[in-house]
Amino acid sequence: MPSTTTTGIETDVAARAIGATKFYGSGDTEVRALDGVTAEFERGHFSAIMGPSGSGKSTLMHCLAGLDTLTDGRVFIGDTDLSTLSERNLTLLRRDKIGFVFQAFNLVPTLTALENITLPMDLAGRDPDQEWLDRVIDAVGLADRTSHRPSELSGGQQQRVAVARALASNPEIIFADEPTGNLDSTTGAEILDFMRDAVDNLGQTIVMVTHDPVAASHADRAVFLVDGKIVDEMMEPTAEMVLDEMKLLSRR
Amino acid sequence: MLRLTFRNLGANKARFAMTTFAVVLGVGFVVASFVLSDGLRSSFGDLSDEITAGTDLQVRPVSEFGEPVPLDETLVDEIAAIDGIRLAVGFVEGDESAMQPVKSDGTTINSVGPPQLTFSWVDDEGLGAFALIEGSAPDETAEFSMDVDAATSNGFVVGSTYDLITPIGVVEDATLTGTTRFGSANDTLGAVLMHVSLDEAQRLFGVPGTVDEIAIRLDTDTDAAAVVAEISQVIPTYGVEIVDQATLNAEQKADFNQGVDIVGNVLLGFAIVSLFVSIFIIYNTFSIILGQRVREMGLLRALGADTRQIRRTVLGEALAVGLIASLIGLLAGVGIAQGLIALFDALGASLPDSPIIVSLRTIVLALTLGIGVTLVSALAPARAAASVAPMAALRDGATLGHQSSRRRLVVGSTLLSIGIAVGGFGLISPPSSTLNVVLVLGFAAAAVFLGVTLVSPVIAEPVSRGLGWPVAKGMGTAGRLARENASRNPRRTATTGAALMIGLSLVSTVLIVGESVKSRLGELLESSVQADYLIIDDSDAGVTPKLAADLADTGQFAAVTGFRYDEVRLAGFVTDMIAADLSSMGLLLSLDLQSGTLPAADVTDVIVLHTDKAEDMGVGVGDTVTVEFASGDAAFLKVAATYDDDTILDSPIVPVQVFDDAGAAAVDQWVAASLADGVSAAAAQPLIDQIQQRYPQVSIDSAAEFQERFEASIDSALTVVNALLALAIVIALIGIANTLALSVHERTRELGLLRAVGMTRRQVRRMVRWEAALVALFGALLGVAVGLLFGWGVVSALPADFAGSLNVPFLRITLLVAVAAAAGLVAAWLPARRAGRLNVLDAISHT
Repeated sequence: MPSTTTTGIETDVAARAIGATKFYGSGDTEVRALDGVTAEFERGHFSAIMGPSGSGKSTLMHCLAGLDTLTDGRVFIGDTDLSTLSERNLTLLRRDKIGFVFQAFNLVPTLTALENITLPMDLAGRDPDQEWLDRVIDAVGLADRTSHRPSELSGGQQQRVAVARALASNPEIIFADEPTGNLDSTTGAEILDFMRDAVDNLGQTIVMVTHDPVAASHADRAVFLVDGKIVDEMMEPTAEMVLDEMKLLSRR
Repeated sequence: MLRLTFRNLGANKARFAMTTFAVVLGVGFVVASFVLSDGLRSSFGDLSDEITAGTDLQVRPVSEFGEPVPLDETLVDEIAAIDGIRLAVGFVEGDESAMQPVKSDGTTINSVGPPQLTFSWVDDEGLGAFALIEGSAPDETAEFSMDVDAATSNGFVVGSTYDLITPIGVVEDATLTGTTRFGSANDTLGAVLMHVSLDEAQRLFGVPGTVDEIAIRLDTDTDAAAVVAEISQVIPTYGVEIVDQATLNAEQKADFNQGVDIVGNVLLGFAIVSLFVSIFIIYNTFSIILGQRVREMGLLRALGADTRQIRRTVLGEALAVGLIASLIGLLAGVGIAQGLIALFDALGASLPDSPIIVSLRTIVLALTLGIGVTLVSALAPARAAASVAPMAALRDGATLGHQSSRRRLVVGSTLLSIGIAVGGFGLISPPSSTLNVVLVLGFAAAAVFLGVTLVSPVIAEPVSRGLGWPVAKGMGTAGRLARENASRNPRRTATTGAALMIGLSLVSTVLIVGESVKSRLGELLESSVQADYLIIDDSDAGVTPKLAADLADTGQFAAVTGFRYDEVRLAGFVTDMIAADLSSMGLLLSLDLQSGTLPAADVTDVIVLHTDKAEDMGVGVGDTVTVEFASGDAAFLKVAATYDDDTILDSPIVPVQVFDDAGAAAVDQWVAASLADGVSAAAAQPLIDQIQQRYPQVSIDSAAEFQERFEASIDSALTVVNALLALAIVIALIGIANTLALSVHERTRELGLLRAVGMTRRQVRRMVRWEAALVALFGALLGVAVGLLFGWGVVSALPADFAGSLNVPFLRITLLVAVAAAAGLVAAWLPARRAGRLNVLDAISHT
């Protein structure tokens, strides 16, 4: 649902970066991780941020998700300018509006699958929407695994729990950081199908960082980053198209 | 979030167990001290009710100061004649250990244990609190009875004869006429309780014609107030009082409770030291465990946990650990109390059967202390955990943030300065009450410990490198790595060592003060004592004046005098006074006379004053001063001399005759004697042996022997204190084991790598053990350094006569440090074994 900002403009953009710039270090050792990136990620879409390692794609995601701060420029979640938020409000925003899927799954080892899934709501002190929760668990196919601990689950199952966790609170946007990076190709494809499904059938918005052309082919759109700058983008990418583009970029 | 708290506790059970153990021990001793003293108070209260129940009134001497003068025994009959009084009995009690029976094997009952007390027999169970069990009551000269437990355990048989060591010499072949029971259960606390007839007591204790108190039973239906009025008519108006049963009972209870409180408070003190030590261990455990969960904290933060929630999760874990530990500690405390009772039993002081009283106060205090200590310790780690950035979830090898070194250093040195300042103030002008002294010095010590702990990471790295040099040289790769590990995390090394520092600093303080006192005594004996022999009683009973007279009668001595002490009022102020033979003083002690001369033996109306005292009073040689005694008598004495050397005698001194005339103390506290010219020590020895045989209860020592005896008694006191402090050291060693175990877990991957590239299990074990030894050594040295500071402070604050200059027992302290390092090696045995047993493949894939 479009929301109204202070400027009164209605938008269908879930996340946006304007002139996003991030430096690490200073002087001779200064690294320009983001160099004035401006990009929009639409609601209800599955977007991929692509680029070779060191291109700044993870940094862009971290900054968009409010995990890291910019040196210059602005990022918005919906119509909220993250640079204006206090640490506490940033925390609340992450809790209520954003879902995460990490490469290393990052489940809490002492909690069961179900408890991990509902953790963000527990943190917020909210009761999960049971109907939605059932739908999500059903969608990722974990109905018979909910009382298992992460150590009792396979990598693919763990990542499905992580995806379910991101979906469970029905956030405005989900950021996925190389979600298939630690998985074999079959299991990875499964996860990507779930994510695709979440966008198509559950109406979610997903922004995924990846360097895997096959993963990117599941997205509606791919944005290409090199040296902290957006150099190209592609709608309805296929694995071959992305691969060609990547080869092209690496020759630059 | 609560769920997460409990899950984490469950997942880290083993790691928290050792933390819990530290708290359990501390809380356990707190509880034990309360349970023990509550139980004893209750049973002593009952005992007190019982033994005072039969006495309606008591007439006894009182005095404002000094020793009260005993009552004239003719008072007993006068009081007994009053209407309404059924029974009035005069009563004499000997000083502790004044009479000692000799067992059939020729030895006396151990005199360092519970006291041996002798009373005159009162043939009425209500008034005397004793009942005959076997045989008859002592009635004649050289007859005595004994309480049944003492008789049984020491092999005394009714009807047999035994020698009695008494103030007037050995009474040979006294008959044990019977055995008795004290109260209903003979709860004597291991004391030996004996009776003789009233006449015999007066003879043995040198108080003919007098009684210490008169116990009175009234007829039923008698107006007590009227009887009291009648008694008042009979007794002297000065120095005698009448008290009722309620007062007696209250006094008796207060008397018992004083002893109970001392035991309880000493235990409590050591318990608090232990709890303080646990703070460091709990802090370390939480820091390390949280350090291993940084990714998890970051994840929670990324998922939207705010800093408060993280802090609450960690503090929730601390709360649960504290609660569980306190509850176990509560149970353990009851067990420890029972153990202590058994220990007292084994040492011969059987305590009365006490109920186990766990009062609400004990429970509340145990929970408050246990939980409080755990929460306080977890505060800093919780803050650090809460400040983990969400990004930590995405990074490998993220570590727990700490407050900056600079801030640590500033806070640490501030605490250190405050501690030293408060401690200095407390030592230089100590507060009036003992409690306040303990509180002030306790606070100062705590501030110093915390300050040193905060500052010590700065030196932890270079010092452990330095200490580790020989280990690295001698132990090959394992040694080198042990040294690296001990210095790689200075904060951890510092905090772990700090726990050990506390115990060791207290022990070395005690050793240093003890050594300084001992060496000062040697100097004093050297400089101020010329006497060849010093004679003291092994008990507190004092030395009968007959001994000094017997020595003088041998004609082998140039000077002999006993020293008696009593309280008098001099020029309006209550003060101690000493009576001695002033004429012989020159050959025994150096007084360093400033004016006048010591009087001849036949001059009896004189006094010798310390120069300060004379100055205070504004008198000089030739002036007359007034001395009032407890008996109400007064004496007018002329100042004969003033002296300056107050190392041995520090009060006004008068001739013995002055005390005798005024009815003041009649027993010598100690005796000094010097041989006549031409009599060698060897020649005098048979004579000394003969006197010793006549008075077995005293020790006749040369100056050197006296010094040895005194040093031995200081040493045994030090041993007791250090044994109790050992608890704090044991807790610290548990802390070292715990930290090492956690470090091993933390370095699983690294250890796996080392094993993979060819390190043997033995080498791994050795590496872990030597790291522990280095950490222990660091803590021990820190402890000795702080101990030197404390020792220096205490020795400087003590009066110069007591402890002069700082004397450090280097050998003992070196030994202590070596033992601590060795204990560190042993403490790390289990973690080292675990490190050695790690499966290489598992260890490498460990995340």
